[in-house]
Amino acid sequence: MNNIYIYNNNFISLLNLINILIINNTKPDNIKQIDYNPTLFDNLIKLNIDNNENIINIIIKNTSKNILKTMYYLYLSRDDNKELIIYYFYKNSLKYKDNIYSMRNLKCVSEALKISQYVSRENHKFKGFTRFKELKNNILYAEINPTNNIIYILAIHFKKRLSNEYFIIKDITRNIFSIYDKKDIYIVNGDNFRLYEESHKSDFIEDLWKEFYKTIGIESRKNNRCRMNFMPKKYWKYIVEMSDEI
Amino acid sequence: MELKEKLRILADSAKYDASCSSSGSKRSNDGGIGNAAFSGICHSFSSDGRCISLLKILMTNACIYDCKYCINRKSNNIKRAIFSPEEISSITINFYRRNYIEGLFLSSGIIKSPNYTMEKIIETVKLLRHKYKFNGYIHAKAIPGASEYLIKELGLLVDRLSANIEFTSNDSLKLLAPNKETKKAEDIMNYIKLSKSRKFVPAGQSTQMIIGATKETDYDIISKSENMYNNYKLKRVFYSAYISVNKDNLLPTLEVPPLRREHRLYQADWLLRFYNYKVNDLLDKNNPNFNILLDPKADWALRHLEEFPKEINKASYYDLLKVPGIGVKSAKRIILSRKHFKLDYNDLKKMGIVLKRAKYFITCNNKYFISENYFNKNFIKTNLILEDKETINNNISQLSLFNE
Repeated sequence: MNNIYIYNNNFISLLNLINILIINNTKPDNIKQIDYNPTLFDNLIKLNIDNNENIINIIIKNTSKNILKTMYYLYLSRDDNKELIIYYFYKNSLKYKDNIYSMRNLKCVSEALKISQYVSRENHKFKGFTRFKELKNNILYAEINPTNNIIYILAIHFKKRLSNEYFIIKDITRNIFSIYDKKDIYIVNGDNFRLYEESHKSDFIEDLWKEFYKTIGIESRKNNRCRMNFMPKKYWKYIVEMSDEI
Repeated sequence: MELKEKLRILADSAKYDASCSSSGSKRSNDGGIGNAAFSGICHSFSSDGRCISLLKILMTNACIYDCKYCINRKSNNIKRAIFSPEEISSITINFYRRNYIEGLFLSSGIIKSPNYTMEKIIETVKLLRHKYKFNGYIHAKAIPGASEYLIKELGLLVDRLSANIEFTSNDSLKLLAPNKETKKAEDIMNYIKLSKSRKFVPAGQSTQMIIGATKETDYDIISKSENMYNNYKLKRVFYSAYISVNKDNLLPTLEVPPLRREHRLYQADWLLRFYNYKVNDLLDKNNPNFNILLDPKADWALRHLEEFPKEINKASYYDLLKVPGIGVKSAKRIILSRKHFKLDYNDLKKMGIVLKRAKYFITCNNKYFISENYFNKNFIKTNLILEDKETINNNISQLSLFNE
């Protein structure tokens, strides 16, 4: 039987669980969210863990801020085994502290860093690829389809540069929204939230941008493959200047 | 004229400038709109695969100069347009709010005089910074021949300034651009270097050279770059493969721009800035052009095979950097990891180090990846050329896009 440990679908709960497992010297076969569908060979175990946010301080004290950040980015990834990867990464970090970052030849480290960097890179890409349109009440609204769950860390970026704007970013794949009210960022599930505002039908600024985009490419240097390497087609649907080309 | 048509004309005239980098500045948002990301952000990629980061436009494509290589020269019969400072500001802010761009790259044809043109550019940038409280990235052209007090004023408003040197020698420039002198561009670079501070041109300065319009060799060009990096502390030199936009007896008629050559120059430029190479390591008077089939680093390595193979567990940082296929990131990873472990080929793979090209030039624990009998020039060269061919078409405009 596989011993699968269950946590409540949030980062704090996962950290608390991992901490208990390590204190008790328990080696999990896997760690899964509460809505996990077990197979015949799975033995689900739900420990009595609290949701104490103080775990953040404990992790930082035992390792470092950097390591906590890597664990958080791992948590945002869509990797199926991310919980187990976080568990092993943390376990090794207790021993090696920040030296862990120079131990990529350990499989659990290289795997963890590869995935956390993928999340960080995708977040960076969407700092560029996110396209807002203006709703009738001046709210900026964007839809994105990232592979990883980056909507919160992405909103932090836009909060800094668009601090005087209201904005909403929707993750189409996960049906969640991040909402900024000129003060704080809220993450809201699409089941509990609907947008009624419509955007302007014809958008002069959007037309100007498309015109600029068409003009700026140099015909005699055309290179579609190179463009696709940097701007993968899977993102095009929500990049306004590309959506016509699909 | 409609705004849309104006934008088309003035973006079309600006597109030949290679720079679109938005990195190197940390400007923060103090109650207005925008900030600058130190690493730079690409917002889109144009049909030629180049990064679009800034709204790259000319203020006007009208010009009193008649540079033979330039689409906007006085004697060309093309439609001319001019943006007002208010129009440029409004488009910039509206594009920025929607996250189309990181900021503005403002250049211009010369109207009336260099000073008058600079004053108009300053007026625009001032409007953006002061009235619209725009804290995003701004790259502006410093017009050669303009007075120092104007450069001072503009430099305090923008993140980056650039003055284009265009050609390595004043003779070439004089021939093709009778109104220009390389000295004027270099005077500006020198002034910017001397005035550089946290508030003055925080993202540093860059310049651009046109490749393939004149008889200059790669050695001339890359020597000029080295010289400018040393003398003026430039952040970047951009290389722009010449595109035949005008017919002129003094200019070559090229069917396609020399992109491969441009690519090699970017690779060599990279070696100068981050790999501790000197121009004379790469080229000399008798061997003045880069090998089109092999990148400059591999070419160098093959000519200095006696320095290889390098032992991964012992080689110094700069020795590791000499290995084709090992870049700054990989070299750093190796140095850090080998403090804790003795590395073998499998470790390197797990560390994400690409061995495709590197394997020919290294040993791990004194072991070569195949029988050591194969360690010879012809074998390595043939294999490298084969592997280069696969990737080069993909990457040809990649280097120009990397941030500093």
